[in-house]
Amino acid sequence: MEGRQKNKKILVLVERDNGGLAPVTFELLKAGKDLADKLGADLCAAVLGHEISAMSNEIAHFSDEVYCIDNPLLRDFRVEIYAQVLWKICSDINFDVVVISHKLDNLDLVPRLAYKMGVPIITDCINLTIEPETEYLLCTKPVYGAKILSTFILEKKPYIITIRSKAMEPIGSNDANGKIIYLNPTIDESSIKIALIEKIKGETIALDKADTIVAGGRGIQGVEGLRQLEEMVRVLKRYFKEVELGASRPLVDIGLVPSQRQVGLTGEKVAPELYIAVGISGALQHLTGMLGAKNIVAINNNPKAPIFEVAHYGVVGDYQEVVPAVIKKLEEML
Amino acid sequence: MKQLQIVVCIKQVPDPEGPASSFEVDSEAKKVVPVGIPPVINPFDENALEVALRLKEQHGAKVVAISLGERLSKPVLRKTFAAGADDLILLEDPSFKDLDSYSTAYMLSKMITKVESYDLILTGRQAGDWDFGVTGLLIAEMLQIPSINLARKVSIVDRNVFVEKLKPYGYDVVSAPMPALVTVSSEVGELRYTSVRSLKSVSGRPVKVYNGDDLDIDPEKLETRGVFSLFPYHIQRECKFIEGGSSAEKGENLVTQLRKNEVI
Repeated sequence: MEGRQKNKKILVLVERDNGGLAPVTFELLKAGKDLADKLGADLCAAVLGHEISAMSNEIAHFSDEVYCIDNPLLRDFRVEIYAQVLWKICSDINFDVVVISHKLDNLDLVPRLAYKMGVPIITDCINLTIEPETEYLLCTKPVYGAKILSTFILEKKPYIITIRSKAMEPIGSNDANGKIIYLNPTIDESSIKIALIEKIKGETIALDKADTIVAGGRGIQGVEGLRQLEEMVRVLKRYFKEVELGASRPLVDIGLVPSQRQVGLTGEKVAPELYIAVGISGALQHLTGMLGAKNIVAINNNPKAPIFEVAHYGVVGDYQEVVPAVIKKLEEML
Repeated sequence: MKQLQIVVCIKQVPDPEGPASSFEVDSEAKKVVPVGIPPVINPFDENALEVALRLKEQHGAKVVAISLGERLSKPVLRKTFAAGADDLILLEDPSFKDLDSYSTAYMLSKMITKVESYDLILTGRQAGDWDFGVTGLLIAEMLQIPSINLARKVSIVDRNVFVEKLKPYGYDVVSAPMPALVTVSSEVGELRYTSVRSLKSVSGRPVKVYNGDDLDIDPEKLETRGVFSLFPYHIQRECKFIEGGSSAEKGENLVTQLRKNEVI
């Protein structure tokens, strides 16, 4: 063993998406770069998957070192295998901070990795700062269903943090010429206890990529109400590229809308150009998923609904009358 | 065959459905002070209990609820009895204040091994207070048993637990040999209704209470959450309310306004 490395190192776990880099990767790289600049550290990235050379080359434009593990067993995300190989990278190289996207699969990965490394974790961070003198990391995350922001202090490196998507800007500069390092750890398949029996694919929905979201909540009455929202989605597609139907938790819980469309604390966190909330009262656990939208329109019959406190435009009225009128006017105009 | 033993970890939290104004921040003490809202069982842990009770109906299991904290409310936690749990174990100690996820998982894992044999451990996917979502899986790592995160459905066949596990594209059906741990998401459905009468009928049921000294723990391993600061998270925007003589007219005016402001 070489012992401690000379330079401090920040590791970013690269996210893939349909065979390419997921947009959130560039946000993670930005978060990692900011930390690296402040700590005088190298920015490193880990690319796990199969046939990943193009991705790795692209990542090298943004980082100092790219650690790649290319193995058919990594084609799909299997948490026990991913935890194993990531632990392998982290035990070979002493990273100071490991930066991971706070997405569904990683919620499974991070506690396992943290336990193997014996290090603390702060999940779902939306802001990171370094105390200049001590070099302690201060990371902020919403707590108590997003009613409160808490900043945690991490004194002893290393540690793992997960970052909420859309909380950071994507990285801009791509003039790095990082070293690409292929690692080939043995994957111990005998330690795998969880058997995958079947994948059940629902609709593929990319809420995070939508530039407009029409979302329904508790106020939407049944299939008929939902149909009106879908109609609005259809008309808005004339103007916007990616328009999706979203929902707050009540519609998902009663099974009217699949969970992939849920916006909020336990669903997607989105930041589209336009977010139209229909019949959504604005429980904080929903608001935390959409506060970042550039323009928020709220349609609700209760003028005191909390959604109006965060909306840019508000319509107080019965959605069953408002929505058809909006659709009609849009059709005339767009 | 030996009876199936299911342990459900439950956490007491201030009611997450309470309005934002009922969560006051004591910046000095770096504490959240719930005002005028009752403590409840963390809703995701209630989902986990519901899963346990359904499995009990199918397989005749013994369901043990355990909770850890510094000031636990027995009336609140006795709801687990009213719903159908067989045993309630509290791990209560003044030193359990503001423990981090690691320490919480460490204490719970010690508790589970000490007092019960177990086939299946169920926890909520995350707690409605600090929202870390890591304690359940850490318990499994400490006990060195397989764990499955984010269940929308759980069943048992022979000595295996089968789980429909949430994925970005839908769900995976996965299985693991027991003993195992599963974290449960709200998709499984809410905890069954408990009537006032059933709550009253369990008000005298004995609860086992342990403290830190009862467990073989290493106090060196206990750490508190490193909270640096706390702030209320409140965004107040100036909402432009769209006027109109009727709901329909407001709808039309909304589109006109959005066009004027070049939103669409």
